[in-house]
Amino acid sequence: MKASADMNNGKNSGSGQPKQGASEELNVYGDVYKVLLGGMVVSTALFVVGIVRALLRPQFVPLTPDWIKQHYHWPVIIEGIRAFDPTVIMLIATALLILTPIARVIVSIYAFAVDHDRMFVLVTLIVLLVILLTVVLGLFGLK
Amino acid sequence: MNAHFFAGSRIGCHCHPIERMQYSYSFVLLLFAASCLAGLLGALLGVGGGIFLVPAMVLVFHLPMKIAVAASVVSVIATSNAGGSSYVEQRITNLRLGMFLEIFTTVGALSGSILALYMRDWTMQFIFSAMLGYMAYAAFSTRNLDDQRIAAGEFTNARPDRFSRWLKLRGEYYDEAAKREVQYVVNGIPIGSSIAYLAGLASGLLGVGGGVLKVSAMNRYMNVPMKAAVGTSKLMIGVTAAVSSILFFLAGLIHFTVVGPVAVGTTAGATAGTMIMNRLHSAWLKWLFAVLMLYLAYEMLAKGLDSGFHFHLPSYG
Repeated sequence: MKASADMNNGKNSGSGQPKQGASEELNVYGDVYKVLLGGMVVSTALFVVGIVRALLRPQFVPLTPDWIKQHYHWPVIIEGIRAFDPTVIMLIATALLILTPIARVIVSIYAFAVDHDRMFVLVTLIVLLVILLTVVLGLFGLK
Repeated sequence: MNAHFFAGSRIGCHCHPIERMQYSYSFVLLLFAASCLAGLLGALLGVGGGIFLVPAMVLVFHLPMKIAVAASVVSVIATSNAGGSSYVEQRITNLRLGMFLEIFTTVGALSGSILALYMRDWTMQFIFSAMLGYMAYAAFSTRNLDDQRIAAGEFTNARPDRFSRWLKLRGEYYDEAAKREVQYVVNGIPIGSSIAYLAGLASGLLGVGGGVLKVSAMNRYMNVPMKAAVGTSKLMIGVTAAVSSILFFLAGLIHFTVVGPVAVGTTAGATAGTMIMNRLHSAWLKWLFAVLMLYLAYEMLAKGLDSGFHFHLPSYG
């Protein structure tokens, strides 16, 4: 638990940089930061590409769930990527955006495990279970 | 430009939601500009953009309530990633507290988004209107007494409760304004967890981050300094909104051509707002926001009455 106890204690002494020797607790903070930043940069870039592409090819699009769900098939997505379809590009950006905090949760489980913080491995696993339950409900249980 | 889109695009004409839209320059640029403004205003007020974004999409762009809520909840993830990562980098965020409270916010988000799937648009508009009214009140009632509490050592000397001892929930961060390390002991876990559930519920049902509820719960009841509460809340908002987004995604409610400009615009606006927030702390800003939120509360109520009961309230847009 030593690392996890330190983990909350900042260790940055006001400089914004962690002290040397506090490497273990860096696991969680460093990994979480990288995942959040990476997800944000990639999804924003894809959104910008999608918006620009859509502007170059304006069209009428329906707002119905059925039309949106037509894109949820691998052949449509692959064809959309090949054709540089703005809706498919933004679908991928949205999926990445949604996956970023989930990836952060998974990375945290690993980082807490490396820090031997079993209690918080369990806490974070419960959060992951809620996410999985949502996926199952969304796929099979609702509407 | 889409005729449906401009037909009565004035706020308060209570038109019925559009069913098709044209992805034209004007639509994208206007939606992007509105999202920037919503993100900016949200950041100035210390909340996410959802509180302004959903009314803008429903009242100005005449998008269906559920499409607006779903787009807003995705943009909430974007602002959380952007804002949350900088708090994590500065290590103001209390990761352990955040991860623990996420259990309750995610369960809340799941319940809220299930409700949103089955609820009628006008019911959601009534609830949104009530939340805007509460936010207008909260803009005045919230007083930040952290400086006195830090100076008095209130955060450091608090007694942990059974749960916080068990979970080893405490924290420390460097406060730039006070120029010192601020240590704090987290307590009040049961009430904090309950409010975290409600915040998740509001997020899933209304497409907002629910940061106001979480920050005030942590600061008032859990002995967490304001800055640490804001950083921790920002981190939690991402995964909370991700849960609602998964459900909306699978239900086909996330319209990607709407989400694009909204997510990028809100993030840009919120980033700019956060940068200038510290320079704007005048009392009139609170008045301005309270009046704006009361106005939006009225317009959302009028929209709900119109679409649910065909009852027309006068519009002031």
